[in-house]
Amino acid sequence: MGLLTILKKMKQKEKEVRLLMLGLDNAGKTTILKKFNGEDIDMISPTLGFNIKTLEHRGFKLNVWDVGGQKSLRSYWRNYFESTDGLVWVVDSADRMRLADCKRELHSLLVEERLAGATLLVFANKQDLPGALTSEEIRQSLDLDSIKTHHWLIQDCSAVTGDHLLEGIDWIIDDIASRIFTMD
Amino acid sequence: MSSETKAAHPGKKKEGFLKRQAKSKTVEVSEEELLQKDFITPDDVLRLGKSTEKYLCPPEANVYGIDFTRFRLRDMETQTVLFEVAKPPPTADGEEQEHEMDDSDPNAGRFVRYQFTSQFLKLKTVGATVEFVVGEKEVSKFRMIEKHYFGERLLKCFDFEFGFCIPHSRNTVEHIYEFPELSPDEVQEMVDRPYDTKSDSFYFVEDKLIMHNKADYAYNGGS
Repeated sequence: MGLLTILKKMKQKEKEVRLLMLGLDNAGKTTILKKFNGEDIDMISPTLGFNIKTLEHRGFKLNVWDVGGQKSLRSYWRNYFESTDGLVWVVDSADRMRLADCKRELHSLLVEERLAGATLLVFANKQDLPGALTSEEIRQSLDLDSIKTHHWLIQDCSAVTGDHLLEGIDWIIDDIASRIFTMD
Repeated sequence: MSSETKAAHPGKKKEGFLKRQAKSKTVEVSEEELLQKDFITPDDVLRLGKSTEKYLCPPEANVYGIDFTRFRLRDMETQTVLFEVAKPPPTADGEEQEHEMDDSDPNAGRFVRYQFTSQFLKLKTVGATVEFVVGEKEVSKFRMIEKHYFGERLLKCFDFEFGFCIPHSRNTVEHIYEFPELSPDEVQEMVDRPYDTKSDSFYFVEDKLIMHNKADYAYNGGS
């Protein structure tokens, strides 16, 4: 039994999955987190730190970290990379003005060594807003097709209605599970 | 790295390394033993077999300005908030401070008594949220261990590492979990023995205890 097998087995025991949710401020990270967990989303203020949820989902112990996206907080993001299995990048699909910012921040994360093994899910959020770009347009704007280092998927969604949140989360868990919790 | 790790533990170094290793996490430790130590580690409290009588660190150990500002419990089955308490933000004229300073018990802020109805013991899945603020220093390796006991039975032990906390941040964590399964007899016992259900919340920064909060619980409130 190789070291990798042993490591995989150790992790399998707990089936713990760590998801890190990042994105520019006002992308809807906290709203996604709350909606996914059946919480009221009427009163959400900018996150000046982190919000964590630990929950059981499909037999996995999910630890989801939502870290504030304001410019002053982004330099702290790297403190949360360690042990991340999945990166959820949340995009405000109606914020055309900041798509270049959004692309730059995302691509700077993808070269981080400590995120090298993470699966990437891009949520094209706020599809309920008029003027929201489609996930296809976001895919092009963020140049997702150039990403060869990570498994990735873009999923259109609306945190307000809850549409497609589950599909996205289930995909990222499936992808992580197939990489980490493999049978011998 | 830090000087604390080099600090001597008076009278605690008689056993060999391997023996101590073998003992760690398996052998129960008493509160009296721990009170002899210069500081308390996560391993120490994991080995405690029951709720403590005293606090294992002074309030001053919290040099990071960590302050719990909200606690909320919700029932995941019905998506309803069962209980919520929030610390009012400090008022500009400092009125709130004055009120708190009337209290002469230095441990007043570290202990909470909860009075619930027996219905609480029938919950299946709950979400427990705490919100806390951090002072001007950054905090690394922040870890919480919370142990819930009925008498000497351990009902639930949370062990969660937050890791890094941003200076001046406001953070939340919600643990969504299955309530421990209790037999009808156990439920009755817990209702009949108010405040024998207790919890200790231990908070560590870099493996050193910096806060210790306690709570006890009654489940005999009006139906």
